[in-house]
Amino acid sequence: MSDHAKIRELLPLAAAGALTSAEEEQVAEHLRSCIACSNELAAWRPIASELYRLPTPQPSPRLVQATLMRAQAKLTEQAEHDWNRRVVIVLVAFAWLLTFANWAVFRLVSGRFGTLLDLQFGHTWISFAAFNALGWLAGGVAAVLLAVRQRDQRRLA
Amino acid sequence: MALDADVVRLRRGDLNALAELITRYQNRLYRYLLRIVRQPAEAEDLFQQTWLRVIEKIRSFDASRNFDAWLFTLARNLAIDHLRRVRPKSLDEPIASSEHNELEADRIPSKDPTPLDDALAAERRMEISEAMSELPMIYREVLTLRFEDEMKIEEIAQVTAIPISTVKSRLRRSMERLRYALEARYPGGLQP
Repeated sequence: MSDHAKIRELLPLAAAGALTSAEEEQVAEHLRSCIACSNELAAWRPIASELYRLPTPQPSPRLVQATLMRAQAKLTEQAEHDWNRRVVIVLVAFAWLLTFANWAVFRLVSGRFGTLLDLQFGHTWISFAAFNALGWLAGGVAAVLLAVRQRDQRRLA
Repeated sequence: MALDADVVRLRRGDLNALAELITRYQNRLYRYLLRIVRQPAEAEDLFQQTWLRVIEKIRSFDASRNFDAWLFTLARNLAIDHLRRVRPKSLDEPIASSEHNELEADRIPSKDPTPLDDALAAERRMEISEAMSELPMIYREVLTLRFEDEMKIEEIAQVTAIPISTVKSRLRRSMERLRYALEARYPGGLQP
């Protein structure tokens, strides 16, 4: 491609102000000696100039309000979600704490508090495991039911 | 790069910050979406979806990025997904002229309509706006980002996720096609 053809390709970009400084210099240099390209650039300029001044379509006034209302609902939902997650973390930590505390209570009730760390597989150990498994299962089912109910309420809202 | 105070507040869940941002960007964002989808009702719906997406993603927004480019990228992705779903052909092809007879831009009166020159200029811009709406989506997009949003080539490359050289070639082609369309309407050329 000749220099003339290369510069000609740059002319719409020159009118759009999209050239690098090196390209701008190249174009300016070429235009000094090429009337055809000067005329071509002159033809591009009014198009670019009109494009810069196209009327801006305005959104309807209610759009911002409607967007804010939906956004508020979304932010509330997000805040609720964050809160629920924090509550679940705290409750799970608390449940584990109770589980370990229960062991001590079971040993105390069975009169073997002195051998707290003795994990011999006996009657106390089975009762302890069953009691806690039941607790965790009930907690899990309750959490799932609450989550399903909340999801349904959100769908209806 | 320092984060915009409103963006920082929005990250903390402040609704007033969101109101500020929506007000600040409403015209630019709406215009960009309208240029892409060409239907005011769809542009309005995408406008709302864009801000909901902003709320979802604001915590993962990289502070080193430009918020404008990030916002327009979210809007672009939603608009392209929408077009793929609703009018897949419109991503490549111009639509029939009857479909865009009533562009939102056409309904905007000139700010100073009484002098004849201003009226003619307004009419010319309307013609340009119409000619532009007949271009394929990728060309309309680059024209609106460059001339209406006055984005730099680098920013357009960020929004559209294409290399700078591709942005430039798209911009050149879009202007050539626009000029061709305008010359068909005005055989004598545009008067400055």
